[in-house]
Amino acid sequence: MLKCFIGHSEDPDSESAVVEVVEQLRAELGDVMPQAGILFAAIDFEHELILQQVTAAFPGIELIGGTTDGEISSLLEFQQDSLALMVFCSDTITISAGIGQKVSEDVAIAAKNAVEQAIVAHEEPVKLCISIPESLTVGGDSILDALKVTLGADIPIFGGLTADQWQMKQTYQFFKSEVHSDAVPVLLFSGAVKFSHGIASGWQPIGKPGVVTKAIANIVYEIDHQPAQAFYSRYLGNMLPSLEYPLALFDSDDGDRHFMRAPIGLEDPEIGSIHFLGYVPTHSIVQITEATHETIIAASQQSFDQAIAAYPGDSPAAALFFSCAGRRRILGSRTAEEYGQIQQSLEKALPSCGFYTNGEIAPLQDQGVSCFHNETFITLILGEV
Amino acid sequence: MDLEAAAKIKQLEKENRILKKKLLRAEDTCVQLEETTQKKEALLRQFIRELQDSKTNLEEQKQLYTSLQKQSLELQTALKELRQTQTHLIQAEKMSSLGQLVAGIAHEINNPINFIYGNISYLKEYIQSLITFIRLFKQYYPEPIAELEEITEEVDLDFVQTDLPKVIDSINIGTNRIRNLVISLRNFSRMDEAEFKAVDIHEGLESTLLILQHRLKANNTMPEIGVVKHYGTLPLVDCFPAQLNQVFMNILANAIDALEDATNHRQSVNNKELPKISITTTHPELNWVKISIHDNGLGIPNAIQEKILDPFFTTKEIGKGTGIGMSISHQILVEKHGGKLDFNSSTDKGTEFILQIPIKQQSSLGV
Repeated sequence: MLKCFIGHSEDPDSESAVVEVVEQLRAELGDVMPQAGILFAAIDFEHELILQQVTAAFPGIELIGGTTDGEISSLLEFQQDSLALMVFCSDTITISAGIGQKVSEDVAIAAKNAVEQAIVAHEEPVKLCISIPESLTVGGDSILDALKVTLGADIPIFGGLTADQWQMKQTYQFFKSEVHSDAVPVLLFSGAVKFSHGIASGWQPIGKPGVVTKAIANIVYEIDHQPAQAFYSRYLGNMLPSLEYPLALFDSDDGDRHFMRAPIGLEDPEIGSIHFLGYVPTHSIVQITEATHETIIAASQQSFDQAIAAYPGDSPAAALFFSCAGRRRILGSRTAEEYGQIQQSLEKALPSCGFYTNGEIAPLQDQGVSCFHNETFITLILGEV
Repeated sequence: MDLEAAAKIKQLEKENRILKKKLLRAEDTCVQLEETTQKKEALLRQFIRELQDSKTNLEEQKQLYTSLQKQSLELQTALKELRQTQTHLIQAEKMSSLGQLVAGIAHEINNPINFIYGNISYLKEYIQSLITFIRLFKQYYPEPIAELEEITEEVDLDFVQTDLPKVIDSINIGTNRIRNLVISLRNFSRMDEAEFKAVDIHEGLESTLLILQHRLKANNTMPEIGVVKHYGTLPLVDCFPAQLNQVFMNILANAIDALEDATNHRQSVNNKELPKISITTTHPELNWVKISIHDNGLGIPNAIQEKILDPFFTTKEIGKGTGIGMSISHQILVEKHGGKLDFNSSTDKGTEFILQIPIKQQSSLGV
């Protein structure tokens, strides 16, 4: 039986926060040692201290995590500047962690190292991968592509990219007691694990479409043969492109279908190139998008409902949420409604944990291949056979 | 007690930390929200501008479309007028040169024929005198000299005496015919008449029929085309006579063409029906005369009935028809004379053209 427990502290002091989290978990766990865990921490904490204390309190825990733009849990709901830890206990599910470093140097090797490190512990085929990778040094989809190559495209990958509360300077990834940057931590599940997911956004394209005329990987140089910044400043004036105003990229086969790529700022202000969180291929037809509070909050609920409806078992053990930092930015004080509304809709309490990310990872459909997203709310429901 | 106080202090310290952090965070969030709101405002403002632009564009395009539509209509009208003018010019030029030619020939023939016609009575008189002289000569000199006897027999003087008056009569008839034909040609061309004139319509019809006489007569391939006339009593009609004659000519020539086709067809199916043109004139209303020209040909196929008034539409083989006869007829009758041109056609009854012409033109009515 998979059991998940939550510790969540809003104390900004690292020492006090981790003590509180550990105490909360011990009170739930009793003598049981958790197998694995996912830790979400605000950027301002002393992360090494926190990790040391967590691993000291739960020796052998297969722990991954990272810095965030906000944390969610069924304990304290939505928080910023808090520390949230979800731990997993199961006799029938194998969970193991791995880390790959220096993704910006060689993303393929980093992903390979992470998976190989984690997979050793598994005797049965891996069924699920959760990853909390770097967001700023390399495009999210190149990390995902590398993980897919190593794991095989049929293993679903979920997760979110680490954030730094919009400073866009440096984010951190956690692996057991180690704090990394520019890294890709993974948590692999095998055995009797069951899961389902949901994904929704709430953003809509608006304004005039343009064509990307020059782009390399996740840097867009020109749209309609003009500096990419000009496409944005047409709408945002002097204000810089930012996460909450992504571009919709239209599917060339189906004109109405689109996915989104969020900008994190100018790559080179001299030439007006823009740094995106994922690939934007040349010749893409793009359109700026916008969302309202209502469409965003409705999409979160939709994502959760999808996941619950798709869950193959009777009683899920936990829910994980990966919600885009752009959503939080637009929602402001109403951010709490994303999870708040979901929690209200639950008939009985479901241990839940999540964070606001710089990019989300999940398949578009059930059983589909995992994709990299921006501006989405992803729900991952976990349970046991 | 100390422990409780220490716990309380610890709790208060924690709350203090959280509040401080939340205050800082709230300030950050406020700034972020302001920025986000500003961006959203800018985005929506631009979007509204784009909508307004596209609305203006739409209106401009609509105006452009309307004006293009108008221009297109004007161009169509201009083109139609141009084609009509062209048709008219071609026909006018053709008719003008033909008219000049006909008038010229008529004039040239008129003088010698008048010369002949004027001298026939003298010729008759002189010949009568000569015959009388021969008769008296024979009476008083019944036995002429041998040489005279010989020549009398040689020339068959008795026959010459009886036949000569007949020859003269025959010449007289021929000359009369030529004279009438010349009058008809002059009448038909009426080159000198560029103004409305009060004209006897029957005279125009007769002149036209006379000019077409050669086509009405029987020949190797065609029996004679019978012309049945039901002429009513018509007042004189205000018209351009030459132009109206041109209309009669077009319609009658088409009727003859139709009858030639019909005859060929009928001969192939052993139908003995004879070709016939009926011309009926009536005065059904105070200011109108009506002329019906009916042929018992094979009629005009339904599919092309709408097109027969279109300029350059013809069913005739290349070189035979120009396709402007009916169009020019319509123009002359309807536009120049304020008249009407209708037709009924069926495969079993042939084609009837009905021309209606006002007796008095509006200008002469003082309207």
